[in-house]
Amino acid sequence: MFDFEYIRPISVSDAVDFLKAHGSETRMLAGGTDLLIQLRNNEIKPLFILDLKHIPELQTGIQQKNGIVSISATVTMSDLIMNELINRYFPALIDAAKVIGSVQIRNRATLIGNICNASPAADSAPPLLVYGAEVVAIGPKGIRHIPLNEFFVRSGVTILQEDEFVTFLELPIPQKKMGAAHVRRTRRRGHDLASVTLCCGVEETGIVRLSYGSVGPRPMLVVDESGVLVDRKASEESKAIVFESMFSQANPSKTSMRASPAYRLAMLRVLGKEALELAISRLDEGGL
Amino acid sequence: MNFKTVGSPLARSGGLERVTGQQKYVADIKLPSMLESKLVTIDSAHAKILSIDISEAQKVDGVLLVMTANDLPHPVPRFGPQIEDRPVLADKEVKFHGEPVALVVAETIEAAKQAACLVHVQYKELPAIFSVEKALDPSAPLVMDPFLRPNDPKSNTNVFNEHRYGWGEIDESKADIVVENTYSFPMVTHFCIEPHAFIAAPDKDGIAIWSTIQHPYWLQKIIAKLLKLPLSKVRVFAPDPGGGFGGKQHTKYEPALAFAALKLGRPVRLVLTLEESFQAVRRTSCETHIRTGFSKHGRIIFQDIIANYLLGAYVDIADRVVGKGSYAGAGPYNTPAVRILARSILSHTSPATAFRGFGNPEINWAVESNIDEAARLLGIDRLEIRLRNLAKKGDRFIPYDKPADGDWQQTVIKAAELIGWNKPPDPSHHRGIAVGIKLGPTTGLSYSLVRLLADGSAILACGTSDMGQGARSVFAQIVSEELGVPYENIQVVMGDTATVLYDQQTSASRSTVLMGNSILKACYSIHSQLKIKLARAYQIEESQISIDHGIVKFPDHEEEIPKIIKTVLGSLGGEIIGVGEERKEGEKNHPLGGSACFYEFNCTAVDIEVDEKTGDIIIARYATVSDVGKSINSMQVHMQDEGAAVQALGHTLMEHYIFDEKGRIRNLGAADYKIPTTMDLPKEFLSETVENLDGPGPYGAKGMSEGALLCVSSAVASAVSEAIGTTIRDLPLTPERVWQAIHLQK
Amino acid sequence: MAKPIPIEINIDNRNYRLEVSPSMRLLDLLREKLDFTATKECCSIGECGACTVLVNGRAVDSCLMLAAEADGATILTAEGLSQDGHLNDLQEAFLEKGAVQCGFCTPGQLISATYLLSHNPHPSREEVEEGMAGNLCRCGCYERIIDAVISVSEKNGGEK
Repeated sequence: MFDFEYIRPISVSDAVDFLKAHGSETRMLAGGTDLLIQLRNNEIKPLFILDLKHIPELQTGIQQKNGIVSISATVTMSDLIMNELINRYFPALIDAAKVIGSVQIRNRATLIGNICNASPAADSAPPLLVYGAEVVAIGPKGIRHIPLNEFFVRSGVTILQEDEFVTFLELPIPQKKMGAAHVRRTRRRGHDLASVTLCCGVEETGIVRLSYGSVGPRPMLVVDESGVLVDRKASEESKAIVFESMFSQANPSKTSMRASPAYRLAMLRVLGKEALELAISRLDEGGL
Repeated sequence: MNFKTVGSPLARSGGLERVTGQQKYVADIKLPSMLESKLVTIDSAHAKILSIDISEAQKVDGVLLVMTANDLPHPVPRFGPQIEDRPVLADKEVKFHGEPVALVVAETIEAAKQAACLVHVQYKELPAIFSVEKALDPSAPLVMDPFLRPNDPKSNTNVFNEHRYGWGEIDESKADIVVENTYSFPMVTHFCIEPHAFIAAPDKDGIAIWSTIQHPYWLQKIIAKLLKLPLSKVRVFAPDPGGGFGGKQHTKYEPALAFAALKLGRPVRLVLTLEESFQAVRRTSCETHIRTGFSKHGRIIFQDIIANYLLGAYVDIADRVVGKGSYAGAGPYNTPAVRILARSILSHTSPATAFRGFGNPEINWAVESNIDEAARLLGIDRLEIRLRNLAKKGDRFIPYDKPADGDWQQTVIKAAELIGWNKPPDPSHHRGIAVGIKLGPTTGLSYSLVRLLADGSAILACGTSDMGQGARSVFAQIVSEELGVPYENIQVVMGDTATVLYDQQTSASRSTVLMGNSILKACYSIHSQLKIKLARAYQIEESQISIDHGIVKFPDHEEEIPKIIKTVLGSLGGEIIGVGEERKEGEKNHPLGGSACFYEFNCTAVDIEVDEKTGDIIIARYATVSDVGKSINSMQVHMQDEGAAVQALGHTLMEHYIFDEKGRIRNLGAADYKIPTTMDLPKEFLSETVENLDGPGPYGAKGMSEGALLCVSSAVASAVSEAIGTTIRDLPLTPERVWQAIHLQK
Repeated sequence: MAKPIPIEINIDNRNYRLEVSPSMRLLDLLREKLDFTATKECCSIGECGACTVLVNGRAVDSCLMLAAEADGATILTAEGLSQDGHLNDLQEAFLEKGAVQCGFCTPGQLISATYLLSHNPHPSREEVEEGMAGNLCRCGCYERIIDAVISVSEKNGGEK
C-alpha cells in the first residue's frame, strides 16, 4: 500500500478544517470495506486517510426527531439490521442491508460509506431513493441537504466537493401508508455484488416508486403516478407498458463481467414484477 | 472382520492443531533474518521484453536484490516435470499473463511491494493465443520455442502432443443413431484457501526449501538439478498444504527463490496473492467433438472422440493430464469400437496443471451428455441406458488393459435409489444421473518408516502430503490396527526429505493404497522382528507365535503388542524399526507407462428445479456413491466425497476465467471469480460408499477422493436438459447461460 | 515516512502497547508483528473470511481494517478460543463432525461461528448458512461446519 498519514479528528469542525486544507489528497475512512480494497489495489493514492469514527457528533446512531429518522456516519449495515426504527419504517432498506456482503462486511460497512462510494450496484441506494433519503453534507461553506437522487453523479462520483463529507442521512418517515421491497440478482446465492439491484415502493394512492441499480452509471429513480401497476383490474399488457417506460433509462454496461446487457434488462423486468408484488402485499398487510 | 480402528470415523490426526490455530503453514513460518519477496509481472499475456530498468526499484530502502533472468546462469535454466520448458524467470519473452519477469527481495514485504511497482519493463505486445481455434490456426504464433523439442515434427505447431487410443473397427461400425456434438469445459482454477507459498534458505553447503508442494521429492530433484547440488544437500520441508487439489503438485517459483537465497546468503520468502495463484495454476480446459453411435436398444456401438485440451504456456504436468484423462475417455462401458484423439495444445495462458480428476471431468462432460441425448432420442430411461452398457466386474472394457475392478452396477443402483429415481419426482423437479471413471496411479514408489517405541507408542514417518484428505489419520489407523498401539499414541511425521523416506508423489488418489501398503509392510517387518525376539525370550518356536491385528498369540495366551514391548526390548530399551517399500513398476509398452492400480468409480445423481425466469438451478437433493473397496476412516471418506461435490458444483454452476481481447485474465481474485459458499449447497446431500473389499490397498481399500468430482457437471446438466427441454453443452451452467438457453428456444 | 500511530490493543487476553504504521492492516499486525499466525490471509479483499477475527465482539475481516483503527479494541482470534489448554465446545464439535480438512479456513470459520452463536444462540440451519457465508472453504466442509455449529447450539439448549 502507498504510504499515507492517518488522521483521527475528534470533532466535525476539526475534520472540516482538515479537509479545507487537504481535501483533494484525503479519503474518508468509516467502515473501510471499500477503501481498503482500493488502497490495496493501488486504485487510489491519498496522502491522508481521515478516520471519522472518533468524532462523537457522528456517533449518534439512528435517531428519530420531527418525522425524520437520521442515520449518522458511523452506522453500519449490522446496526441498521438490528435497529427497530429502520425495521418498522424502512423494511426495504433492511432487505438490502441484509444482502450487502457477508456478516463480516456488514459489521464494518457503513450506510453512508456505501452511498459515498457511489457504486452503481450499491444495494442500499434503491431503497434509499424510494424512501426519499436526503444527504446531509458539511464543508467549509457550511451544511447542505442534498436529495439522494441529486447526490449520485456516475460510477464512483458524487456531487460532493473535495472539502465536503457526509455526516448524516435523513429519511422522512412515510406519511402515507406504503409498502416497499428490495430484490436483486447475483451470480450465486452466496454474497456477491449485484447484477441488478432494485427496490419498489407502492403508496396507498397508487403512486409507484421504482429504483434500480447496476444497469447504468448510477442508481435510477423513476416514479409512476398512473396507478396502473397497483390496479388489480389492469391488464398485464398495460402494466408491461408502464414498466417499460420506467425501465427505459436502464443502460447496462457492455463490458461488465457480472452479466450481459440482455440478461440484465430481462432481469430488470423479472425483478420489477417480483418487487412490485412484494411491495403490494406489504402494503396490504398494513403498510410500511 | 472386526477391526479395532480401521473403518472407524476417528477424529482427524492433525485436527487438534487445526482447530487451535497451531498448525503452521508455509506462510506462518518465520526464519531468522528472513527476507520477503515479490514477483514482478506485466499486464500482458504475450510480449517481447525489450528492457527491464531496475534502477529505481533498487533505490528503495530495504531492497537487497532485484533479480531478473540476467542474474541467472546462461542459458536461463529451465525446468518442468514433463519437459524442461519453463524458465526460472521470463527469458526475453512473457508467455502468459502473470509470468514473473523479476523477483524483488527486501527486508520487509512493504519495501518489496513498493520496489516491485518501480521495476520498469519495456515490452512489445505480441498477439496472444488463448483458444483452441486460435492455437490450431496454421498462421498462429508458436507458444513453445521449437528448440525445446528438436526432434518433434510438431514443433512448428502449438500441438505439444497427440494421444491416440482405440480399438475395434470404428469406420465399419453400424449404428442406428449417431449423436454428434461439441462440448466445452472452461478454464477454472484451484482456488486453494492457502495461496502457494515458498521459502528458500541456504543450509550449510546446500539449500533448504519450504514449499506448499504436494510432491516434495520431485521438487528436491528439480532444485538439485538446477543448482547443481547432490540430492543429499537439498532439503525440502513440506508442511501440510492448505488445500492442493493438484495445483501444488509441481515446482513453480521455488527455483527463483533458491537462486536469490544463495545469492544473498539469507532465507527468502515468497507468498502468492490469491490473484497470483490464479495466474500460476489452472485446470486444462477442453473442447470435445464427439460422435457416439448407438443401437436402437441403447447399446453403445462406437465412440469417436476428439478432445482438444488447452494447456498453458508451459506444459507442467498437463500433457500427462491429457494422456491419462482421455485414456478411459469412452467411459466405464463395454464399447465395441473406440477412437480417441486427445490433443495437448499450448496457449499463452496460465500453465495448466493437475487438478482433481486429472483430465477426466473434461471428457466425461462430453461422453455422459451424449449418452443422455441418445437416451432421449431413443426413449430409453437414462439410468437404464447406463446399466445396459456398464462394464461388469472383470469385463475388459479397455480390451488390452486392466479389467473392471468393481461392482459398478451396485454403485449406480445405490445412487439411483438414494435420489429416488424410480419414484415420480415432485412437481417441477427433474432428475439427472451420470457416472465417472478414472484410472488410479500407473506407477508408484512409496517408502515408510514405522518405529515402535519402548513404551508401546509409535512414530510413523512417510512422505505423503496431507493437504486435507486425511492421510495422517488413515496411516495412523493402519499402524494402530497392526501394532495395537492406541491411535492417539501415534505420531505421524511428514514433509521433510532429510528425515522421511522417499515417496514418489501424492496424487491420483494413490496414497491409501501405495503408502498404505508400504506401511503394512513396515508393520509386518515389525511383526517378524517381534516374533523372533519373543521366541527367544519365551524359549518357544517362532512358528508357535502369530500376530493378528496388534495382538500376539502365544500357544497359551494373548498379549497386545504395546504390553509386551518391554519384554522384547530388554534392559537397553530402544525401538523396533520397520521399513516398508511399495513399488509399482512401469510397463514398457503400455501407452500410459503402466496399467492402473485400481479404477475410481462414482455415480452421481441430482434432483433439481430450474427457475425459468432467472435461470437459477436449485439442487433439492444430491446423491453421490463411490466404490472405495474399504473405508479406512469412514468419516474422512464421506468428507472427501462431499468436498469433491462442492468443488465440482463450482465449475458446474459458476466458475470460469474471463479474458479480455488480448488474453489477459479479467477476473483475477475473489471478487469476480466465484466459488460455492454455505448458501450454494444442495438442500439435501447424501453420500454413500460401496465397499466390497476388492481393492489392492490395505484391507481391500481402493483409492478415492477424485471419483466424486468426475461426473457432477454431467449429472446436473442431465437434469437441466429435462427441465428446460434443451441441452447446454458449455460450462459453467450460470443462471445467465441457462436463461439464454431457455429464451433462445422461445 | 508516515507518522507511526501509537495504539493499545488487547488480543486473546493479552495487552499490547505499540506503534503501527498507518498502512499496516490489523491482519498484518496480528500475523507479522505479533505472531498470531492462526489468522490467515487468502483473498485480501474481504471475500473469503480466512482473516476473520472478533473486534469488540463483532466478526470482521481483518484484511479490511487498519491496525490504527483497532486502537483500544479487544480482539479475539482462533488462538484465544481454548481455555487452559482445553478445546471449547465449537472446537470439539468441529473435530467431531469432521468440519476440518486442510484446516486453512478453520480459524476464520471458528470465529464466525463464535460470533453467530453469541448473538443468535439457537439459529436455524438457514441462519447458520447465512451467518457462515462469508467464510469460504474449498475443501467443501460446509455441511459439517453447519452441523458442528448446530450441534453446539443444541448442546446449549435447543434449536428453533
